[in-house]
Amino acid sequence: MESLKELILTECDRLKQGVPCDFVGVALQNRNDPDITWPYAMGNRNEKYKYITVRYGKGIAGKVISSGTPMGITNFPETILGKITDYPIMLAEKLVAAYSVPLVWNGLPKGALLIGYRNARQFDEHEEQKLREVAKHLESFLSSHFTDE
Amino acid sequence: MELKSGNQACSYIIQSQEEEIKRVALELHESINQNLYTLQTGLNFIESGIEQPELKNYAKEMSGLMERTIREVRLLSVELYPNTLSTLGLTAAVKSYAKLFTNTFGILIDVDSQGEEKLVSDPESLAAFRVCQEALINIAKYADTDKAKIAFTWGEFSVKIEIKDTGKGFDTNKVMESGRSMGIAAMGERMRLVGGQCNLTSELDKGTTVSIVLPIQS
Ligand SMILES: Nc1ncnc2c1ncn2[C@@H]1O[C@H](COP(=O)(O)OP(=O)(O)OP(=O)(O)O)[C@@H](O)[C@H]1O
Ligand SMILES: [Mg+2]
Repeated sequence: MESLKELILTECDRLKQGVPCDFVGVALQNRNDPDITWPYAMGNRNEKYKYITVRYGKGIAGKVISSGTPMGITNFPETILGKITDYPIMLAEKLVAAYSVPLVWNGLPKGALLIGYRNARQFDEHEEQKLREVAKHLESFLSSHFTDE
Repeated sequence: MELKSGNQACSYIIQSQEEEIKRVALELHESINQNLYTLQTGLNFIESGIEQPELKNYAKEMSGLMERTIREVRLLSVELYPNTLSTLGLTAAVKSYAKLFTNTFGILIDVDSQGEEKLVSDPESLAAFRVCQEALINIAKYADTDKAKIAFTWGEFSVKIEIKDTGKGFDTNKVMESGRSMGIAAMGERMRLVGGQCNLTSELDKGTTVSIVLPIQS
């Protein structure tokens, strides 16, 4: 049987093939504590994402998880709310645009799927659609992340 | 009436701002978070008495949200004001901030201390702490590097602190001329007000070093 990691990275890869993004990241609440980290990433420029704990309600992933709704940034840091240091993954990966959707498990947002670009851009229907589709697949794996199933 | 020099006014502004920040930070930490904690304990107690699975789950989720909120308020409070500064000292406070910084930005910070740490009075150690904080935040914003180093060297009459990155560096002359370097200017001003010095050197593609010297009153 394929490991959870392989399953998730295969989905991320499929996403990266389908939309022309530079970076794909999955933020997820840890299994045994309420911390949210970035266990999976692709197209990363460095290893910073491995050490980052997402602050609930802060940054793009933190906001997507606390609100349960998608969020986009088209031209960082021109168009953001708050300080640029509230967006660590954008800084760490030198992203200029990003779009993120929640990953829901048991009716609650437990993580976020994020695509990032290193230049400014508007997001189109196709990208958002593709992102939601991959998020659906990822959600179906979350039971094995949170339980022994 | 003769007006006092800018120096005193500046010192007064910094001091009253710091007092206000400290008040908010302690309020968050002690009063607000204490109440939230009590609420969470109560919520857990209520949850344990609920039989109906749906309601029970709901109470559990609310308690989880409460836990996150408590955590977030604590982090906010620590970011605003380092409570450990006057109890555990400057090195410990900087170390604990460095840990929070790594968790936030993914940049590894090596904190090293040589010599015997001396007691530094509150306004002095707070000024040094704020310079470290500003230098680290600049690293997160501009240096484009995944690690940095803070080195304390304790002497008999002074302590030297170096915050060093090997990131992309910048042209100091250009930045100073542009007038967009208030953060760097404020580091120097804070140190000057407590009788210390602050120096910044930077070289393109080599990195940046902020170096401060703080006299210690014995
Ligand atoms: N560690 C560093 N690496 C690379 N560039 C830096 C570093 N520190 C500062 N700089 C450069 O120096 C400039 C001025 O820094 P300064 O801290 O004064 O302002 P700021 O950080 O842009 O704004 P503020 O500190 O007021 O929020 C920055 O815009 C950046 O170009
Ligand atoms: Mg600055």
